[in-house]
Amino acid sequence: MATTNATLTLSSGDLVGSNLSLSASTVLNKAGNNTGMDQAVGLSRKLTSSLDTYTLFKADEFTANLAHKVYLKNISTTASEYFTVTIDDSILGRLYAGDWAFFPWAAADGVKSAFTVTFAATWATDDTAVFDGVTITLAATETVAAMAILVGAAKYPNFTAAVTSSGVVTFTAKDSNDLSLIEEGAASDDYVITTAGNGTGTVARTVAPVASASDIKITPSVGTAMTLESMLIFQA
Amino acid sequence: MATTTATISLNSADITGDPLSLSKTSTLTKAQGTDGLNQFTGITTLVYASAQTATPLVLAASYVNTAVAHKVYIRNTSTSEVDYINIELGSSNVSLGRLYGGDWAFLPWDAINDIDVDTSGALTIEFGVFSQSTLSA
Repeated sequence: MATTNATLTLSSGDLVGSNLSLSASTVLNKAGNNTGMDQAVGLSRKLTSSLDTYTLFKADEFTANLAHKVYLKNISTTASEYFTVTIDDSILGRLYAGDWAFFPWAAADGVKSAFTVTFAATWATDDTAVFDGVTITLAATETVAAMAILVGAAKYPNFTAAVTSSGVVTFTAKDSNDLSLIEEGAASDDYVITTAGNGTGTVARTVAPVASASDIKITPSVGTAMTLESMLIFQA
Repeated sequence: MATTTATISLNSADITGDPLSLSKTSTLTKAQGTDGLNQFTGITTLVYASAQTATPLVLAASYVNTAVAHKVYIRNTSTSEVDYINIELGSSNVSLGRLYGGDWAFLPWDAINDIDVDTSGALTIEFGVFSQSTLSA
């Protein structure tokens, strides 16, 4: 258990009729208890160099609806330069030069797409199964179960794969923002099987994707160099 | 022109391998300039007698929007670790995150989206809006 204190001090001698002097302090605890949050994406800096939108923290990578806290600061010293901070597509606000922010983060996950491939019949030497840039080529005749094991053991750039029953492999997208829908059926253009025998691999979508609405994104106001400082304190 | 400063201090001896000791101060200025923000709601205390769902806290229509540097302070004054506020943005109620008992937030706000809150039950919220009265050029 770590102990992290966050303190805010707001001061002004002339914003209102009397002096403003507010101080708020909290210990950053995990959701629903008094145990300190114990993980951090340490203080880091992101240098932007275009007007693109940059994803700072991806909700998929964190557990949703806990007590995560985000710190951001625009390092720029040019008054007109700002970062627009958005929660996915919802604009929060602009951080102008020197401004900082500290706010809770829901990290609400999207839904990752998933599909199954059910292998059947006979798989022969040199038969192939191609998906996500990965080609499985058989060196010998294989049973349906062995074919599924080979496919499930491969490493895919954008999906995880696992044998979920004999002859059946379930693929799950690594990113909920991957909204592509794989073509279903025994002759899918997305999961391509080439066989000299009568082997089949039938694709069935099992989970439709829903994009995350909680990624923290920043968009710089200028395409030249700007720097954002950030830190995420979170719990698993 | 008012001068308002906001300072954050984050300190921990054990959240990372080396002690964390961060202190940053910013002067709350209008967008694209050095003039200070000139409007303030004051620190307002709201007592909710029961759980809330998407209850408006700060209405965008009351402020100029987009080219602005408004800041919003929100604090859950509860002393219970299980009481929380869920801060939401806009008509779609996109969840920003939860403030548990004692937690506070200080965030930029461009007054495009209302700020709403859900609460886990009866609790008290403290909040204030620092804003600019007119758009920056």
